[in-house]
Amino acid sequence: MKRVFCSSNLKVGFAGAFFLSIALSLISCTSKKNNLANELRIASANLKGLDPVATGDETSSNVIALLYDTLFQYQYLKRPLTIEPNLADGMPQVSKDGLVHTIKIKKGIFFSDDASFSGGKGRELVSQDFVYSWKRLCDPRLASEGFWLFDGKVEGLDDWRKAVQKDGKNFDAPVPGFQTPDSSTIVIKLSRPFYQLHNILAMVYTAPVPKEAVDKYGKEMVNHAVGTGPFRLESWTRNSQISLVKNPHYHGVYPSVGDTGDAEKGRLAMAGQKIPFVDRLIFYEIVEDQPIWLKFLKGDTDITAIPKDNFDAAIKNKDVAPDLAAKGVKLDRAPGYDLTYTSFNMLDPLFKNNVNLRYAVAQAQDTKTTIEKFQNGRGIEAQSIIPPELESYDPNFKNARLEFKVEKAKEYLAIAGYPGGKGLPELEYMVTNSSTARQGAELFQTDLGRLGIKVKISAVSWPQFLERLRDRKFQVTGAAWVADYPDAENFLALLYSKNASPGPNNSNFSNPEFDKLFEQAARTPPGPARNALYQKMRDISAEQLPIIPSTHREGYSLYHGWVTNYKANSVIVDRFKYVQIDVPKRTQLKEKL
Amino acid sequence: MKGVKNNSIWLDAFFKLKKNKLAFTCLIIIIFYFAAGLLCALGVLFPHYALTNNDRSYLPPSPEDWFGTDIFGRDVLARSFHGIKISLTVGLAGTGLSVVIGSIFGAIAGYFGKVTDDLIVWLYTTLDTIPYILLLAGMSFVLGGGLGTLCFAIGITSWVNLCRLIRAEFMKHREKEYVHAATAIGSSHFRKIFVHIFPNVFHIIIINFSLGFIGAIKSEVILSYLGLGVEPGTPSWGLMITDARLELSRGVWWGLAAASALMFILVLAFNLFTDALREALDPKLRGKL
Repeated sequence: MKRVFCSSNLKVGFAGAFFLSIALSLISCTSKKNNLANELRIASANLKGLDPVATGDETSSNVIALLYDTLFQYQYLKRPLTIEPNLADGMPQVSKDGLVHTIKIKKGIFFSDDASFSGGKGRELVSQDFVYSWKRLCDPRLASEGFWLFDGKVEGLDDWRKAVQKDGKNFDAPVPGFQTPDSSTIVIKLSRPFYQLHNILAMVYTAPVPKEAVDKYGKEMVNHAVGTGPFRLESWTRNSQISLVKNPHYHGVYPSVGDTGDAEKGRLAMAGQKIPFVDRLIFYEIVEDQPIWLKFLKGDTDITAIPKDNFDAAIKNKDVAPDLAAKGVKLDRAPGYDLTYTSFNMLDPLFKNNVNLRYAVAQAQDTKTTIEKFQNGRGIEAQSIIPPELESYDPNFKNARLEFKVEKAKEYLAIAGYPGGKGLPELEYMVTNSSTARQGAELFQTDLGRLGIKVKISAVSWPQFLERLRDRKFQVTGAAWVADYPDAENFLALLYSKNASPGPNNSNFSNPEFDKLFEQAARTPPGPARNALYQKMRDISAEQLPIIPSTHREGYSLYHGWVTNYKANSVIVDRFKYVQIDVPKRTQLKEKL
Repeated sequence: MKGVKNNSIWLDAFFKLKKNKLAFTCLIIIIFYFAAGLLCALGVLFPHYALTNNDRSYLPPSPEDWFGTDIFGRDVLARSFHGIKISLTVGLAGTGLSVVIGSIFGAIAGYFGKVTDDLIVWLYTTLDTIPYILLLAGMSFVLGGGLGTLCFAIGITSWVNLCRLIRAEFMKHREKEYVHAATAIGSSHFRKIFVHIFPNVFHIIIINFSLGFIGAIKSEVILSYLGLGVEPGTPSWGLMITDARLELSRGVWWGLAAASALMFILVLAFNLFTDALREALDPKLRGKL
């Protein structure tokens, strides 16, 4: 019996080993095949969707920017950031009063093939596509988060919106401010000067979307991509991975002008060559930091941000740790153009009418600890809402109310009418339910606990977080804003009353003086006069503190030795189209990992 | 009468448990946990568990800090002990609620039968078709986080097994002579259910309570791990484990170890004790001891 038993076990064992070896060899073949593929692989957070007007988060924008294209873009290598034509055929002609912008678009650019087109073949891009897409962005029925870009700036847009609100059939009515004299010319007529117009035309919100696709897919546009971008959508499994394939007909070329040090780093070697260089781009949707990091260490992703818990292992003395450097890993540091902040919901009477309570919270916050524990020292304490990379930033400006001084905070709390926190109801601090966000909330809870203020942490999912911001259903929260374009106006817009939720003014702050200055600045050309207006607005925000500026972060990216041409910048959302993979080098270096 | 008292199921079970050294040790461990949880709740044990000291973050275990410190320099041992308080609260409240729902529904279904039985059977069969963790996670997601809602979610999603058992027992007991006798002397339905039949099925409730208790503790840890559990900032084992999974990459293992060890010991002790209790109380198994 024993022998039979063993024999049958052996058979099972041999069969198991046989299938296992086949499976392993398949995995090995797949892995080798993957190494040989000219693919760029990136770990990404979960995407909300692919419709340019329906998504406003950074993660989705990074992908949409590769599928759709915009009229303008930022020069990839040059700093400070400079705008240049993309789908536009040259920079626009602007009338003397700055109100009329005439833009010619490139000819011979086609949308990607899609079933929504007759015969399934993508048709040529025309100027009417832009106008159609901008009308979608402004359509009140879609309630796009990006409407604020055009809000109050385009001739006749408000009337058109009212008409559409009344009856959806009015969508086809013309907007006087968006005109198309011919299929390759767009004329934008502004109702007031708008000096950031070209910047917003570089944002993915304004990318052209064909009407045929919207007619076919409707709300399902969030799951489809029919653009003119450097890549085309190959497949997308939600919350898993999205795969993009090279658009062989893409019009773009690699830049010939770089910044100091770019030539030495080999970033100009491909000057004038057609882009994109990689055949396929895969974004793995991974929520957790640990698998993101492990995937990079294994060489399964090519470029990564550094999770906070892996920073000490990755970076030594502000450079790549020796063990990683020996494996060919490189570091790219870039200014974040960003602001992290604590936001009060100014519609809540508790905060709206009590500036001293806001001061108390501001002075109780230990920002140094935030930078040390959550940003690994990769940030500076913010003094205002304007980040240091921008022209109107004043390095000498200090806001004493942002200093971490518990005694002063207690004084303000007493003036606010809540000495020692007595009589103040428990505050609700909303965060996303990631470990890092929760720990950040715990720090806030501890900071305010020193004053006797009780804080209840409400941890919600990312979509719930966005929804509650949009519906104005929160009391206090932590947030971050990454610049859409390099202008302080983009940060000051966070406090403009007409941008209240669902716009970017999530604090729902409303101050007539601030609004007046904001509108005045919008009519003022770039220069010292506008900077002075910006600084006045900065002063109001520092005085009123509807949001408490916390930090400005610096971006650290790591990339493997087989990646070339990579230069990080959070404003350049389509940066991956310039990246090149040295496939033989990857095969060679991956053996070391 | 004395002889009858000596043969009572409870006294008999007590003596049997007393003889079982392993079960007795487990009972002592459980009592220790309850005492620790109570003392933490009263602020006697580790009253400064929330005290932060940013200069002492991530200190490894040492004679001063047995289980090291966390990101904010808080004592991990103190937080783990306060985690007992949360786990026991969830265990008691969540299982308590499920026992009440399961017992009442089971009793009503089994006793009255017919349409009442059909309705309750339909309800628990429907509920039972949804995988437990998914149902629990969905319920927590809808109700929102927090200790109270967590207990409620566990309570209203985990009563089916007990309901099924109690229903079967009541179907059996309602035909017994003592129930007919009670009917003959004019006892009300309420009296027959709660005064006459319930004491005879109470051992099933006790056993299920113990089993459910362990399940509730594990559910709390799982839900907190998924971000659907207790409020952030609360010293819960689930939250400690979810934070520790990221901290492991920087070599901080003690948060995970402390929470896991305390949970392991409690769950193991409860499992072994419940087994012994079942053997002592279940008439079908009583002869095996």
